[in-house]
Amino acid sequence: MEQTKYLVVGSSHAALEAVTAIRMHDTEGSLTLLTRDTHLPYSPTVLPYVVSGRSPADSIFLRDEEFFEANRVAYKRGSALKALHAERNTAELADGSEIAYEKILLATGAAPAIPPIPGLDQVTYHVLRTLDDATKLNAAIKQSKHAVVLGAGLVGMHAAENLVKAGASVTIVEMAKQLTDGYFDATAAQMIEKAFTDNGATILTGSRVVKLAPSAIGALLTLENGTTLEADLLLVATGVKPNMDYLEGQGEGVEHERGILVSDTMQTNVANVWAAGDCAQAKGFYTEDKVMNAILPDATEQGRIAGMAMAGDPGVKAYPGGVPLNTYHFFGRHAISVGSSRVPEGGEVVTRFDEVSGRYLKAIFKDDRLLGIYGVNEFFDGGVMCQLILRRVDLSAVKERFLADPLTVGRELMSRIWR
Amino acid sequence: MGKSYNTIAFDSAKCDGCGDCMTACATTKTGTDDKTRSRIQIVGSEADGFELALCRQCGDPKCVTVCPAGALTKNFDSGVIDWSDTKCVDCLLCTVGCAYAGIALDAGTGHVAKCDTCEGAPACVPACPHDALTYITTSRIYNEVGDWEDLFAPGLAGCQGCNTELLMRHTLRRVGPETVLATPPGCVPGMGSVGFNGTTGTKIPVFHPLLTNTAAMLAGVKRQYKRVGRDVTALAIAGDGGASDVGFQSLSGAAERNEQILFMVVDNEGYMNTGMQRSSCTPYGAWTSTTPIGQGTGGMPSQGKTQDAKNLPLIMVNHRCEYVATASTAYMEDLYDKLDKAIAASKRGFAYLHVYSPCTTGWRFPTDQNMEVARKAVETNFVMLWEYNPTDGLHFTHSADEPLPVTEYLKAMGRFRHLSPDQISHIQGKVVENLAFVKQMAHREN
Amino acid sequence: MTTATLETPTQASPAKQKVILCEGNEAAALAVALARPDMVAVYPITPQSSLVEHVAALIADGRMDADIVDAEGEHSVLSVLQGGALAGARTYTATCGPGLAFMFEPYFRTSGMRLPIVMSIVTRDGITPQSVWGGHQDAMTVREVGWVQVYCETVQEVLDTTVMAFKIAEHHDVMLPVNVCLDGNYLSYGTSRVELPDQAEVDAFMGVKDVNWHVALDPHRPMAVDPLTGGTTGKGPSTFVRYRKGQCRGMQNSLRVIEEVHEEWAQRFGRSFAPLVEEYRLDDADYAIMTLGSMTGAAKDAIDEARDAGKRVGLIKIKTFSPFPVEALLKSLKKIRALGVVDRSVGFRWNCGPMYQETMGVLYRHVTATGSSLPSMSFIGGLAGADITVGHFHRVIEATESLLTKPAPIEPVWLNERD
Repeated sequence: MEQTKYLVVGSSHAALEAVTAIRMHDTEGSLTLLTRDTHLPYSPTVLPYVVSGRSPADSIFLRDEEFFEANRVAYKRGSALKALHAERNTAELADGSEIAYEKILLATGAAPAIPPIPGLDQVTYHVLRTLDDATKLNAAIKQSKHAVVLGAGLVGMHAAENLVKAGASVTIVEMAKQLTDGYFDATAAQMIEKAFTDNGATILTGSRVVKLAPSAIGALLTLENGTTLEADLLLVATGVKPNMDYLEGQGEGVEHERGILVSDTMQTNVANVWAAGDCAQAKGFYTEDKVMNAILPDATEQGRIAGMAMAGDPGVKAYPGGVPLNTYHFFGRHAISVGSSRVPEGGEVVTRFDEVSGRYLKAIFKDDRLLGIYGVNEFFDGGVMCQLILRRVDLSAVKERFLADPLTVGRELMSRIWR
Repeated sequence: MGKSYNTIAFDSAKCDGCGDCMTACATTKTGTDDKTRSRIQIVGSEADGFELALCRQCGDPKCVTVCPAGALTKNFDSGVIDWSDTKCVDCLLCTVGCAYAGIALDAGTGHVAKCDTCEGAPACVPACPHDALTYITTSRIYNEVGDWEDLFAPGLAGCQGCNTELLMRHTLRRVGPETVLATPPGCVPGMGSVGFNGTTGTKIPVFHPLLTNTAAMLAGVKRQYKRVGRDVTALAIAGDGGASDVGFQSLSGAAERNEQILFMVVDNEGYMNTGMQRSSCTPYGAWTSTTPIGQGTGGMPSQGKTQDAKNLPLIMVNHRCEYVATASTAYMEDLYDKLDKAIAASKRGFAYLHVYSPCTTGWRFPTDQNMEVARKAVETNFVMLWEYNPTDGLHFTHSADEPLPVTEYLKAMGRFRHLSPDQISHIQGKVVENLAFVKQMAHREN
Repeated sequence: MTTATLETPTQASPAKQKVILCEGNEAAALAVALARPDMVAVYPITPQSSLVEHVAALIADGRMDADIVDAEGEHSVLSVLQGGALAGARTYTATCGPGLAFMFEPYFRTSGMRLPIVMSIVTRDGITPQSVWGGHQDAMTVREVGWVQVYCETVQEVLDTTVMAFKIAEHHDVMLPVNVCLDGNYLSYGTSRVELPDQAEVDAFMGVKDVNWHVALDPHRPMAVDPLTGGTTGKGPSTFVRYRKGQCRGMQNSLRVIEEVHEEWAQRFGRSFAPLVEEYRLDDADYAIMTLGSMTGAAKDAIDEARDAGKRVGLIKIKTFSPFPVEALLKSLKKIRALGVVDRSVGFRWNCGPMYQETMGVLYRHVTATGSSLPSMSFIGGLAGADITVGHFHRVIEATESLLTKPAPIEPVWLNERD
């Protein structure tokens, strides 16, 4: 049986950071990277830009074969993990072969969550999680005249914008009351919505599709209120769910809820098994409860911690907890969100909105400590803001200046604080 | 393993917030004078001091790891984090990754922008009218020297915070294995250069001359190798006492005979290894264990050394050596440049390198302050950095204009704590006089 | 004893020899040239100066191939040679009096480092009173420092002994520095007929040069020369003690080597000198006088005259003073019943001549060996260039003879005090 000291499953941000972290401390131990994808490593986050054609599909790769060679990583693509046999430290692959590991990292990411809508399985629809999805969608967009996007998360919104720009009539159907729910607040969402409607898109929030059927051009959708839509392109972007089907049927195995439950060093309840990235459910920064924080920056952070812990690097520091971080570019405008949108008891929300410039800022404080900050067309250094949150910096002395100019004041605080 | 890169350094104490650096950057990079578009951002105020937001060109850059498009890459040749406009998708995730505001949105282009050091010639640095920005190019030393063999044993027994070990290791690495090393009594053998009880501290031939005869013994070694046609570098790493006091005769004799040796003096301004006694290189007013502070007799309190230091490097210039230079470990690039020249000169004749070496134990300053004390010595002109050779004469290698007041140096350490205003003004006067003297010499020699 | 054949030297090897007329200093310089040193270091001092002038002239004329270092003082002179020797050079210098005092620091160390440096001491009295004239005070003052010291009687002996000194010093059983002492004024400036050995013969006599096999400053053989030793117990003191014992063993070995080298010299060049102790008309003597250096010539004349007058007196000359030739001297002392020792310097501590003081130690050995004591007394003469004449030696002989019948005086007899 093939043996390896470190087995990393997955090939995106968390997995790649883990590889780097392992090799920082252990340059010799055998390392195998396993991925179901057949392409070189890439980021799901870049896929909307492949869809739009902005990023050629062959220029988005985060690593090349030379990287794996130089780091002495056995890189196996097109090899999906079928089952984890943690009790005997082996991983079973789709082809039935097994690999024995000393330590394994599950960085298997997430896959589109397909809603249980009757008839969905009868129609052709797109999802967007893999490069192959993106390439297909890119080709389809060019042909589409009537497109429907299910879900107004960032993936759906990106695709919708691309479809609008490609000349299709676009309808976005979202169950929630607002667009980009969970990323941006209602005010920001309204600004986003306005940008879309100004560009000809139709937004149907608070709506759900109850039935789907094939039609001449593609699919016929029936909404909750009885109206119907016909689409020659249907994109299902209603969220993602972690890839952890390989844990099924393992009995008393790796604990998982919405994701794989991990400690502050990304270790699961089972010896020699770690998890990181979109498939992991780790401590949140604002709560001791374990949360899903499936965002790119957190995947890198978790991947690094897992790699260091696996390699026994004494420099490993405990995961501080996930802080939501999102950026969104739409129709030439940008929105940034850092931290929590929830206003705790005794918390304070400050908003500033300039209708003329379209600049919007919202900040949430508790005891003069920043909990979250959101901006549309208001640029601030998200990384600096995140540090203000993580370090729980007391802003009482500068709060007004900070709200007026978070960019400059944030930088001043940075220079004084993190030396 | 490991590579060092040049970097832009910022001294907030020198910055007055004029913004000339931002203008220079904006002009160079955007063709406008819009400071908000500068990639170097000065923030802060006169009251609270000015600070800098600029790409640190991190070795382990978070912006690169969070970029989904592979648009940011650490360039391991230049050390710069390169940004690709063709790969970038304007998602701004990099700005969320960076904790230093080193990459930010340029409203003028809609893309992120970051410092690229103008390909190694940053426009902001010369634009600063106060030298608050400097482009540190010492990486060359680390990168070159890092691959050379360290010829000293690991774990030399220096005092904590001493810079002499650094000097020893760097010098030996540069000089290389075809060397005979003399380390007369003092801190250098005290740290273990010649070993103890039959062991050795170096991988090259090393000896312990007398305090008095270093230059003479070394001359004998060198002459014999020259006679038999072997190119061996003869190097001394000596203290100031063994050079300026009891060893001066042999030093002067060897210099006069133009013996082909490289004589490095590590000047810690006293007999620090034997317990911090005064030497002729001890400066006026300094406490040492033989110029202590006390009540004195007849109303004449004892207030440290009552004479000025002997200026040994200038005396060596008057030997018309092949090469004479002063150096400081706070200016390693300058030191390395001089070391290169001194080695070359020692193949033709006598080369003399005088390195000022703050002594954390004997000068009484915190162990983490060695480089700062060394730097302050130069910034106040208490120590001047210059070099001399018979063809080009004497010239400064570090500007002696606009020095800080000498008190900036004196207050950095305990050995001057007792100074009276009169003593301080004597020292300041001596600094001015020394500068005038060396300047005159530089003028005459040129 | 080899002394028996002094008047009729063996001609075992009819070496080609040139006869010249020269002073002792020049003879020493010519001998140095014959020994082919690599490096000489010089600093002038009366009465040594003409010696180094001759050396410099020989080099300038191309008759000697050595690197000459005009050092800035005797301290550096010896230091330069130490460096040279550690790099493999055969080395030579000369000094005296205050110069020797000034070089004392490296002088002590030369024997410690076992460097086979040859140095002539053109002996000079010690100051103060200020004087530039001859006397053995300088060499006597440093007799306890681990150098081999030999004293010459004639200019020819200066020449021959100076060449032999290199061979003795470099003998692997010795590896010690050697002083060839020649009396200031009397030998330095005394001009005499000298047979100059052939260079090729001397080359054959000297053999292969190998001076730093035991300690070197050579990048091809890196070592720490003279690391610090010390401590109250353990490796430090042990290292130091073994070092010192080695020096003493080298000194004792030199007694044998000096004899062997003199024997070989006699074989090759036909001139024989007593290597350690010379006996003159001693075999049937009742008593004897003891001499050192150039005074011996006048002493022998006095002995001859006393013998003519019927006195049964003989002479013992010390050639090798350091190490003190205890056994050889004891053998000579067993032949007589009274001894007078003439020193050309003073021993302040014992109120007698230094050679007399050394001899008293041998006299104790004499008592333990024979059961009877040997009456003896000390004479001090020839200080600061004063001539010890035949007349002075008649007084010495008379006073020594009186010891056969009268008790020995406690005080030394000071010659040249009023005459």
